Amino acid sequence: MTDTRPWTETKVVGTAQPRIDAHERVSGSAVYARDLVLPDMLHAAFARCPHAHARVKKVDVSRALAMPGVRAILTADSPGAKLPFYFTPKGPLSWLFDPHCRHEGEEVAAVAAETIHEARAAAKAIAVEYEELPFVVDFEKALDPGAPALHEGGNRAGEPEKHERGDVAKGFAEAEAVVEMTFRTPCEIHTPMETHGSVVKWEGDRLIIHDTNQGVFDLRSAYAQYFQLPLGNVRVTSQYMGGGFGSKLEPGKYTLAAALLSRQTGRPVKCFLSREETFLCVGNRPPNLLKLKIGAKRDGTLTALQLVGVGTGGAYPEGSDAGYLASDLYLCPNVKIEETNVYINAGKARAFRAPGFPQGAWALEQAMDALALKLGLDPVALRLRNVPKVSQRRGGIPYFSTGLAQCLQDGAKAFGWEEARQRPRGSGPVVRGVGVAAGMWGWDGDPRGTAIVRYVADGSASLTTGASDIGTGTKTWMAMIVAEELGVPVESIHVDNADTDTTPYAVLSGGSQTVHVNSPAVRAAALDVKQQLLEMAAEQLKTDVASLELKDGVIADRSAPDKKVALKDLKPLQEQQTIVGVGRRRPHPKGKVGLPFVAHFAEVEVDTRTGEVRVLRLLGAHDSGRVMNRLTYQNQVFGGMTMGIGFAMTEDRVLDRNTGKMANANWHDYKIPTAKDVPPDFACLPVDLRDTEWNSTGTKGIGEPATIPTAPAIANAVFHATGIRVTETPINPTQMARLLAARKAGR
Amino acid sequence: MERVSRRGFITSAGVGAIGAAALGGAEAETAAATVRAAGEPAPITLRVNGRARALSVLPRTTLLEALHEHLGLAGTKPGCERGECGACTVLVDGQTRYACQMLALEAEGHEVTTIEGLARGEQLSDVQKAFVAEDAMQCGYCTPGQVMAVEGLLRHEKDPSLDEIREGVSGNLCRCGAYAHIFKAAQRAAAARRNGGK
Amino acid sequence: MLPSFAYVRPTSLDEALEHVAEGRGLVHAGGTDLLGCLREGVLAPATVVSLSAIAALRGIEETPEGLSIGALTPLSEVAASPLVRERYTALAEAAAQVASPQLRNQGTLGGNVCQKPRCWYYRGDFACLRKGGEVCYAHAGENELHAVAGGGPCYIVHPSDTAPALVALGGVARVAGPAGSRTVPLDQFFVLPEKDLKRETVLAPGEILTRLLLPKPAAGLRSTYRKVRARASFDFALVGAAFALQVQGDRIARARVVFSGIAPVPWPAPAVEGALAGRRLDHDTIARAAEAAVANLEPLEKNGYKVPLLRGLVQERLEALAKT
Repeated sequence: MTDTRPWTETKVVGTAQPRIDAHERVSGSAVYARDLVLPDMLHAAFARCPHAHARVKKVDVSRALAMPGVRAILTADSPGAKLPFYFTPKGPLSWLFDPHCRHEGEEVAAVAAETIHEARAAAKAIAVEYEELPFVVDFEKALDPGAPALHEGGNRAGEPEKHERGDVAKGFAEAEAVVEMTFRTPCEIHTPMETHGSVVKWEGDRLIIHDTNQGVFDLRSAYAQYFQLPLGNVRVTSQYMGGGFGSKLEPGKYTLAAALLSRQTGRPVKCFLSREETFLCVGNRPPNLLKLKIGAKRDGTLTALQLVGVGTGGAYPEGSDAGYLASDLYLCPNVKIEETNVYINAGKARAFRAPGFPQGAWALEQAMDALALKLGLDPVALRLRNVPKVSQRRGGIPYFSTGLAQCLQDGAKAFGWEEARQRPRGSGPVVRGVGVAAGMWGWDGDPRGTAIVRYVADGSASLTTGASDIGTGTKTWMAMIVAEELGVPVESIHVDNADTDTTPYAVLSGGSQTVHVNSPAVRAAALDVKQQLLEMAAEQLKTDVASLELKDGVIADRSAPDKKVALKDLKPLQEQQTIVGVGRRRPHPKGKVGLPFVAHFAEVEVDTRTGEVRVLRLLGAHDSGRVMNRLTYQNQVFGGMTMGIGFAMTEDRVLDRNTGKMANANWHDYKIPTAKDVPPDFACLPVDLRDTEWNSTGTKGIGEPATIPTAPAIANAVFHATGIRVTETPINPTQMARLLAARKAGR
Repeated sequence: MERVSRRGFITSAGVGAIGAAALGGAEAETAAATVRAAGEPAPITLRVNGRARALSVLPRTTLLEALHEHLGLAGTKPGCERGECGACTVLVDGQTRYACQMLALEAEGHEVTTIEGLARGEQLSDVQKAFVAEDAMQCGYCTPGQVMAVEGLLRHEKDPSLDEIREGVSGNLCRCGAYAHIFKAAQRAAAARRNGGK
Repeated sequence: MLPSFAYVRPTSLDEALEHVAEGRGLVHAGGTDLLGCLREGVLAPATVVSLSAIAALRGIEETPEGLSIGALTPLSEVAASPLVRERYTALAEAAAQVASPQLRNQGTLGGNVCQKPRCWYYRGDFACLRKGGEVCYAHAGENELHAVAGGGPCYIVHPSDTAPALVALGGVARVAGPAGSRTVPLDQFFVLPEKDLKRETVLAPGEILTRLLLPKPAAGLRSTYRKVRARASFDFALVGAAFALQVQGDRIARARVVFSGIAPVPWPAPAVEGALAGRRLDHDTIARAAEAAVANLEPLEKNGYKVPLLRGLVQERLEALAKT
């Protein structure tokens, strides 16, 4: 195997490289599944339960069946329709058209028709008789005696998540300062720009799914099981997809229904959700109630951390815990975490960009800020006092590299932190403040997958990977690796991805694992090609392969520079036209772990007359290992920050207390940040510790760290500006007006 | 210079002039407008990207549906179909609009420009090139709408400030959060256009 | 998804009036509110009558009496008009804050004034009182965005930004109908739910708003409109305030103050006007005016924040006016 030593200086990797598919994206020529039209295609739409909790008593499709354009209707009784859904170790809790509807929007029937209008009109015309049931949508009341139960055994969703080390009672007894606070975080809905949906067809006994998803192989496996097909009989593609943020990792009822309808009608079926539907049934970030208590010595050393929390994963099993960060970010010998997960009559949660971590950071980082104030310590200094070198949560194994301290220090310097902290807040009604928050991402990914690189005799190359590019620029940094190792210009590299028929296995794109799991495989594949080229040259030059090196398209003998051959003159290459290299991801090295760290700094301006808060600037200092592509890395940081602004300031699902229905199931009333809600000043400071042990490219993940600490950094800045601690999201004029008025009235 | 609508001035001058009786003469010569029946597809011609396109639409067909479904111009994307996200932004007579909030019939007689109308063959426009250079996209789904919004802005404002750029794309959601780079792309494109390149 | 409807695009107002007679057809101005209403089933006309080919309904013109703005004039044109910006600043500012640039290009001044409520129950899958159901879901429900004045039995807030500015500036609506044309001062144009749940304006079925008329600005007129909202774009007002102050020397001779986002109609504030009239715009006056703005508000369970928010906005706007 050729040189897998860590890169030192790189020529291509680490530069600012425009996306290799940017042309397709800016020209409108990229075809997303939403755009796909297949010959003879039908359109499908669902009939959904309008109640928060109900049982279907009767379904009458007779009027719908007679409507124009309708070709098939599926109900719970249709053959093959009883597909299980929402799994537990004991078996499925529900199925495709479960007559026990546990949240608004649960699917009751599906229609295939010639046009989408006809399908939706027919779906509306399906007459369903419901028995409405009492519901609970307030997760803080789900365990109250008499609360309506969603499942047998009540509304506890599994056993509480616990983590304990040391002795917190002792720790608090030793503490010289204690803060105890309660926090609430929003229920956020992913709402990627492209809604969820699939275009499905059968080719004989092969099931073809053109999808918008984050992991074609995981979904192939699921759908193969659903339809009891061999893996190879299912093809899932998702080349261009319009965002997911974790909501497109799971099988969709829209895919199942489309597959059944397609099989029944013998025609391709397109089933895409409307925007309104995506608020109800394809996932959310669990809301949390977190009670956090921190104890520390006068010098800021933490002595105890206790977190008691409740959250909800919705109507079906999905974790809602947020305690990881408290258990691992800061050095603390005594920790006790207990989190309860409950069912409520609302859509099931799905993994949402750093699941649990923005919630945990909202609590932890504001509590640390309050602790710093109590101790008279600078917030950055307090954190620097408690930086661990090991993962306490993993039993104390050391990190390959941890940049938490450097992120805080370098970030503070670049931000002008000290000076900004001393600056007067403002003498008039408009005040300013700055805040900091730190974070980490706690998952080290699944080190699996294969990449294939083909080098072509004309000096170009192609790369095949199963990885989805969910907007992160995966295809481009992969091409940059090939360019780095083989000297092929990036513009001459073609990437095929995310097709279970033609691309090799890759893990799902989520959990910030795509770069650090896949890049070593891509590098290995490129190096495999390089090795083959060197061996051909060794044969041709009659020299030892170990003394050869490839540079600028020429292979030369290091010790006898006259012995050289241009790649294009390699005979076997000319004869075969392409050389194929395969790279396999090897398991993680043992004994240590590699995780990314982050610190965000925020400056805000608050108009104390109206409570309007403007974010003036954000700086993100990230230890995410090597920057593969300066452009897309920075874009991820700024994008994560934007999502953090949504968490902190604008987003929350509102469920009507009297009906349990969602009041704001649209993109005006459910508010995601607009261009005017982000600061005009964004800065990104990569902290690359040149980790050479964790993997062969020195990378860690960036997608999730980019959004973990933004919200508490903003909240801490609001506190610095106003003296008001906002423990419940969103920070918006509604809440600020209340809090400012309460302070004025001395409450 | 104030824009005065000549025709409006002539017909509305005076008090209470607009009413059933006031409009004789010219109006009497105009044929009554055709009522397009609800369920019957009717032929129309739309001018899209400089070409006349013939298609058959229902009254309820939106311009977005006409473009995305009927004409196969899938660059104009459905994001919400409620006028709340901007993914379907097009230019109508050079002004940005949401195609989903416009009936196809309303677009008759107007010039519609979609994302497909900006490039010359394979040559991207200056705004598109700027988006590429500044990486002003992530998943790319909102990108055509963002490009159209910037194009619309630059047609009316040669040297937009950062605030004007932010305002110009304030009707275009980007869930991936590429706003920061979109601002840079707009600045880059504005400079390129001012310097004569296109 | 839009329901089925017939469509006609008359070229004269006469013809349009025929098509909307007795409420058989509903007008399409910019369509930005109409399409949403059609989609959500709030309106269900047999025929949509487009006004977009009637040039007489568009355009901003000076008249001997002041200014005449066609109801079909796009909001972006109103916002950009040098005449409006200079003489009727509140209206230009209001038009510039509506929704988003694309919706301002398409939406019209008349449409903005006549738009249907944005209550999430009204627009959502709820058989609410206003739509003929039994219950106002907001009253005992999620009412953070609902009325703190003038409410009952329905608690919508008026969603228009331009309407309060027009009212504060003394605007008048010209309306065409089967019986001819009439004018209605805008402060009488809107209808409280306690009077009639089924409509927001005095327009009878078959009537069309054709022009918005503004009087010549009095000497020393200074006006402004701003709304506070959750996001900096797209959003309707949490609270909004329009001021038209006639300044003589260093005193306010006369004030008109109208609020948005707090009541089912653009809400005049005579108490604030009284606190301002005859006074200098100084710290004490501003404080008194701000208190007067919130003196008689009746919050529901979740919208009490509108009280300090409105007080703060009044203070902020008056302080801004004091600086100019």
